[in-house]
Amino acid sequence: MFTQIGNALSAKNSRQGLWLLPLLVGLAASLALSVTADDFGTPQNFLNLTAQAAPLLLVSIGQMLVVLVRGLDLSVGSVVSLSTAILSLDAPAVVTIPAVFGAALLIGLVNGIAVTRLRVHPIIATLSVMGITQGITMLVRPVAGGTIPPLVTTLVSGEFLGIYMPVIWVVVAILVGWKLLYGSRFGLHLFAIGGGDTAHAFGIPVRRNTLLAYVACSCFAALAGVFLAGRITSGDPNIGAQYAVDSITAVALGGTQLAGGVGSLQGTVVGTALLALLANGMNLLNVSAFVQTAVKGLILLAVISIQPRKNIGL
Amino acid sequence: MSVLRHPVLRAATRIPPSYVVFAVLLATLWVLKPAMMNPNILATFARQVVPLGIVVLGQLLVISSRSIDLSAGGVILLVNYLISSGQFNGVPPLVLVGICLLVGLGVGLINGLLIGKRRASAVIVTLAVNIVLIGLVEYLANGKPPGDVPAFFRNIYNARPGGVPAPLIFWVGLAMAMSLVLSRTIFGRFVASIGSNPVSAHFSGVPVERTVVTAHVIAGFMSALAGLVQTSSIAVGSVRFGPELVMNSIAATILGGVIFGRGAGVWGPFFGVLCFALLFVVMTSLGVQEPGKLVVQGCIILLAAVFYGVRTKSN
Repeated sequence: MFTQIGNALSAKNSRQGLWLLPLLVGLAASLALSVTADDFGTPQNFLNLTAQAAPLLLVSIGQMLVVLVRGLDLSVGSVVSLSTAILSLDAPAVVTIPAVFGAALLIGLVNGIAVTRLRVHPIIATLSVMGITQGITMLVRPVAGGTIPPLVTTLVSGEFLGIYMPVIWVVVAILVGWKLLYGSRFGLHLFAIGGGDTAHAFGIPVRRNTLLAYVACSCFAALAGVFLAGRITSGDPNIGAQYAVDSITAVALGGTQLAGGVGSLQGTVVGTALLALLANGMNLLNVSAFVQTAVKGLILLAVISIQPRKNIGL
Repeated sequence: MSVLRHPVLRAATRIPPSYVVFAVLLATLWVLKPAMMNPNILATFARQVVPLGIVVLGQLLVISSRSIDLSAGGVILLVNYLISSGQFNGVPPLVLVGICLLVGLGVGLINGLLIGKRRASAVIVTLAVNIVLIGLVEYLANGKPPGDVPAFFRNIYNARPGGVPAPLIFWVGLAMAMSLVLSRTIFGRFVASIGSNPVSAHFSGVPVERTVVTAHVIAGFMSALAGLVQTSSIAVGSVRFGPELVMNSIAATILGGVIFGRGAGVWGPFFGVLCFALLFVVMTSLGVQEPGKLVVQGCIILLAAVFYGVRTKSN
């Protein structure tokens, strides 16, 4: 029995990856926090935590889809910024919301086509797209400001049927992610593509699904942008800056292997929750923001060091 | 892509894109601002990109051995803090330089060991190391404006032996040394063989792990050197620069025809860096603002990479 538990914890032969361990760490951390920080256990703090974690969760779910097919999307942060910038333009929501998703679709297509058809390395492709998107964002909104249509702000704040809106966003994000990954052929294909070089031989449309993974990733990032725009009620060209690194950290923390093919939605949710918990806890304990950045980096280093891969390099 | 199979075009695609882009930019500048085509003015522009050029010398080494280094920004920031914080006021400048170089070697060693020995993803490791360094420096500086840079550094930076700016001579010397290392030493052969095929390199007896670690240590050292030059150039410490330098270093390397495991040349990336120097001049003289620069830069990286991707397929 202990071997079984050990195998489950180390996720030796699992396609789900190592996610039980971060879950246990998260539970231990919240227990420790509820003892040391007085405000931690309050319902209000739980709601704050959800609102803080929701955009990262959206970005991370998208990032996970790309990581599963051995990719990496560094442009998610700029997509988040661009979305808030478009929403803050002085235009009705019926125009700006489709524009946000149109832009995300286009960015995802450029990433996907560059990676699948033009054989550009994912890091290079998404890095250059990140630069281009950031430039466009700064053209649309040079400095933070503007107003967000009331439709968007009501979608993310307040309550619906007595349930806090961010909670609904989180639940819907998880359901959509679950459907994509475990309830569709697309999800199965993603695991197959990341798992080995033989996916093509089994008749799986490798290029099309990889392309779709990039498009889905951009759309999830755009959703996160909509959520953030509603929360801060203005556009900000730099708000997404940290999301590329944070989402990769969350995905890696949840046991998704960056070499592709191994990972799980529950892992990503746990990873995101753990990161949010960490930030929340350090805020409650008055840890300096700079130290928080350093701690985040150390965690990322630790997480990837305990999952050795076969190959050296990227 | 059958057009690309034509012998003339195939020969043309073997030239690093940076040479072509450099020529085009030089011609553009010549047409737009003939007054700028003065060796003194051009040397001053070239001097500004020397830190980038030195980072690129390390970057091309790690990219040739199928890795990547995104931590240069953090190292430069740390070096800048060490020199300008005033914590080491009593220390002679040369010892301070030594400390900074040791810091670079140390960061490179951490990167190298995690990537080579622990086999962790190079992107994530160097990204994480970069965040840790930035967080550390900002915590140490604690929002305070950093102090002055000792006069020693500024004097060297502004020296012009024989009319050529000293940083420029330093950069060209380093590039020549790196070129010799790549073409004449066993280590250079190892890097090239890992670049073309790590598996066959391993079975041919190439110490893959050790070579990757060494490449990262050298890259860390180069970042520290770049930090020294950068710090000398600004005279006053700063806690706000670095990220765009790393992106540009990757861009210049790709523009120079070095892309994950292919082409271990120094002069392609060297001209890639000069392209960036000219690009900023041309765009500034055309009145292109910061956002436009980001867009153009991104397009150049993407096009250079696409160009090379297509080349692989046609071979």
